[in-house]
Amino acid sequence: MNSLSWLRSLLANLLRKEKIERQLDYELRAYVEMATDEKVAAGVSASEARRTTLADFGGIEQVKQSVRDHRAGSSFEVLYLDVRYGWRQLVRNPGFTAAVIVTLALSIGANTAIFSIVNALMLKGLPYPAPERIGTIFWRIEGSQPFDGRSEIDGEHWELLRDSVPSVVGAVLSPLSSGANLQAGQSVQYVRAGRVSAHYFDVLGVLPVVGRAFTANEDRPHGPKAVILSYGLWRTTFHADPHLIGQTIDLKGEPYTVVGVLPVSASTPLNADLYIDLQPSRQGEGSSTNFGVILRLRDGANWQQADAEINNAWAAPAHHFVDEFHRGSKISFYTVPLQRGQRADLRPKALTLMLAAGFILLIACANLAGLTVVRMARRTSEIATRMALGASRWHIRRQLWIENLLLALIGGAVGIGVGFLALRGLLSLLPPDYLPVAGVSPDGRVLAFSLVASILTSVLFGMLPVLALKQIALRSFMASRTIAGVERLRFRQTLIAGEVALTVVLLAASGLLIRTLIHLQSLPPGFNPQGVMTAKASLDDARYRDPAAFDSMLNESTAAMERIPGVQSAAVGLSLPYERALNNGMTLGSGPQRGQQAMSGEIYVSPSYFATLEIPLLAGRGFTSSDRRGSQPVAIVNRSFVRKYFGGVNPVGQTLDKEGTIIIGVTEDVTLAPHAEQVNDPLGSEPITYIPATQADPRMLAVVHAWFQPSWIVRTSAPIQGLPGQMQRALSSVDPGLPFSGFYSMTDHLAQSLATQRVEVALLGAMAGLALLLSAVGIFALVANMVAQRTREIGLRIALGSTIRQAMAHVAAPGIRSSAIGIVLGLIVCLGVLRVMRSVLYGVSIYDAPSMAGVVVVLTLVTMFATIIPTLRIAKTDPATTLRDE
Amino acid sequence: MSSKQTNLLQGTLDLLILKALGAGENHGLGISRRIDQITQGTFLVKPGSLFPALHRLEEAGWLSSFWGESENNRRAKFYRLTKAGKAQMDVETKQWQTIAMAMANALKATT
Repeated sequence: MNSLSWLRSLLANLLRKEKIERQLDYELRAYVEMATDEKVAAGVSASEARRTTLADFGGIEQVKQSVRDHRAGSSFEVLYLDVRYGWRQLVRNPGFTAAVIVTLALSIGANTAIFSIVNALMLKGLPYPAPERIGTIFWRIEGSQPFDGRSEIDGEHWELLRDSVPSVVGAVLSPLSSGANLQAGQSVQYVRAGRVSAHYFDVLGVLPVVGRAFTANEDRPHGPKAVILSYGLWRTTFHADPHLIGQTIDLKGEPYTVVGVLPVSASTPLNADLYIDLQPSRQGEGSSTNFGVILRLRDGANWQQADAEINNAWAAPAHHFVDEFHRGSKISFYTVPLQRGQRADLRPKALTLMLAAGFILLIACANLAGLTVVRMARRTSEIATRMALGASRWHIRRQLWIENLLLALIGGAVGIGVGFLALRGLLSLLPPDYLPVAGVSPDGRVLAFSLVASILTSVLFGMLPVLALKQIALRSFMASRTIAGVERLRFRQTLIAGEVALTVVLLAASGLLIRTLIHLQSLPPGFNPQGVMTAKASLDDARYRDPAAFDSMLNESTAAMERIPGVQSAAVGLSLPYERALNNGMTLGSGPQRGQQAMSGEIYVSPSYFATLEIPLLAGRGFTSSDRRGSQPVAIVNRSFVRKYFGGVNPVGQTLDKEGTIIIGVTEDVTLAPHAEQVNDPLGSEPITYIPATQADPRMLAVVHAWFQPSWIVRTSAPIQGLPGQMQRALSSVDPGLPFSGFYSMTDHLAQSLATQRVEVALLGAMAGLALLLSAVGIFALVANMVAQRTREIGLRIALGSTIRQAMAHVAAPGIRSSAIGIVLGLIVCLGVLRVMRSVLYGVSIYDAPSMAGVVVVLTLVTMFATIIPTLRIAKTDPATTLRDE
Repeated sequence: MSSKQTNLLQGTLDLLILKALGAGENHGLGISRRIDQITQGTFLVKPGSLFPALHRLEEAGWLSSFWGESENNRRAKFYRLTKAGKAQMDVETKQWQTIAMAMANALKATT
């Protein structure tokens, strides 16, 4: 075919349509007239000749249409006409259109928001070069206590990894956040310090813009002290001074040489203001599993190789480990992409939310299918007329698809907008640094997902009516307006039952989460959280390696705070209730498990810690100022400790450990964040040992202060104006170089430790609410439609003596019945599905009667409202007018 | 309407139109009559197939058209073969002959 002439015709057809149409008309008329002329010449009468010619011709309009259909570009034009027709149909039915678009917008919006998070967490690559070559190491223990996940390593593992695994570059870091005091000019500021080994930035692929990364020499224990600054800190605190490299700054009370500055956009998983070398070894914190590990595959190596080398290198310590803790178990190691390793715990949560969002989409589909079926019924006569006028079934079907796609696109576009708004709201709800990603910005993938979701929805809800068209027999269509009414009702009832069932599942799930949150929030605290203000400061400072300096600073600073008017008492503790305590192992010195290893939380405290927090002393005595270095080592344990290691028998006067520490008292349990290895609950109690701060081992202090920032606690009788400022001044009067990092009430601490639960409740609750709304709309639409369709029947019933109440019940029955079936169905589904939630529930069983009862009550109430409101119209029905109606 | 009328094979109509115009330019009715004549009434082409085909062939560049006067002085749209159309006719004629010969041989063959 000559494409040039085709193109010319296409342009002519599109641009000079009228002329072409006129010429076509003229051409065809000329044909008819010439054919008539022939017949007249053959002796037929003029009128007869014209009639037979036209009859033979087969309809001028049909011939024109078939010429048009064959024209170049005809498909564009038909499409345009169909779209225009579809648009008009949508504009003519604003109620239907609005219902569809709002439903789509809400459901697509929910999906867009959730998918944006899933995308950022699981699909987007880490913001480093070749992220697929960055990994971490998982441990797999098979045996009586199976484990599979990321684990910290000790100095021995680190040295073996560094020296005997040639296919990777490895680095270790301290996963516990570290605070540090930075002297800049006259003032001292609190900064977040990341502690990493030499190749940390090589593994991430982040190169300093100024200066260099750490050297092997700086990585050695007691090597030179070097610091790398983040761009932000370099700019704000040091005014982007280019001569800073090679100079020393006063950090943690010691001179550190600035060796590098990170690029402006660089972020690390530690997200710190500055980085110092961890100097990892087998001593100190390296004597136990305190290092996180990351790896980068070297060029030419693959992960299988690395796995084999790691298993080989770690065979000896793995053997020891099994002998000591997991007799008879098998232990192996494998590498995992850092992306997956970092977010392993968030993955199931994100997937659950995605599943809930999928439910919303299904519920929306059910509603839309219901609406579309009703609309198709209303359009039967229109469609029948068009078919009678020569439209092919294919043409009508295409027309319906185009209308659906139009709706899908509009709904999808609005939905994406709603989704982005919802996402922004959601992110403002999350605690800062909650998501381990730099930002959740929607990208092309999110847009594509939303578009596909909306088109899929439209296919799902649009397919049903189009399939139904197959069964349309033209004649019966025209003859009866209520054809297949019963089947249609049954179909809609099935949809409603289905969506109510899904709603039950979502409501039950969020009900369980709400109950979990209530349970956690109402745990007995074991102390008095009211009227307490706390503040943290970093003691990871050369000046406080000296125990005498540490002791006197604690004494003087608490004394200074107690002098603030209105303050009842002040204390210091390494950690607070609602926080995680230092995990410590010891060999028990007495009791039924004497000589065995015991794990417990360890908290050093000043003498007034228990009085300030109002933690009740159950037996023995509290600490006094005479419990100090050189005097008999003493400890206080909590109720859980006594229950677990002393069988509940009062241990006062017994020795705690093999060092001869004597237990002098027992306190009530306080609610805190237990260690994951022991209990899974976000809040609860665990065995705790309290020791006097003034008896804490100086070596332990140095290590512990790199991990924990101790808290100063102040109890006041009434709220004090400007208390934080006064606390800071009190501390500065003792040491002007000691800034507080922040001030928190106990409510803040509680909220922070339950942030995850709160977010879960908010997200799932919002989705359950949305599902409930959509279901209510579905039921409402069904009943309202019944009322509208059966006006005549209702009129007849009332005329025949039925009361209005009976008529209302009659019409509302299908809605109520399908909702009831849906509730029962949903409860059955819950029995199976909710089991997956077991890991996020605390203090609530998955078959929680109050939650289930709540779900049933809520859905029953919503069903009642959704059915009663539309039936109220019946009360206004005048039987006489309705009977005359048709 | 001819009782001998046979359904047009796919593609046959195009060749018949090209052939009918081989004798010289003609209008729609003329082409239809000419096909009737050269096939001895075997094919009767109705306007519903004729006009779409004419417009299609013109768009393909095998026919060109102009407005002229018919025998009895009516203004009508005339079609004539273009150079490309003539070439196309040769190609299609050869193709058709191959098929016709093959069919004839096939039907003659003794089983």
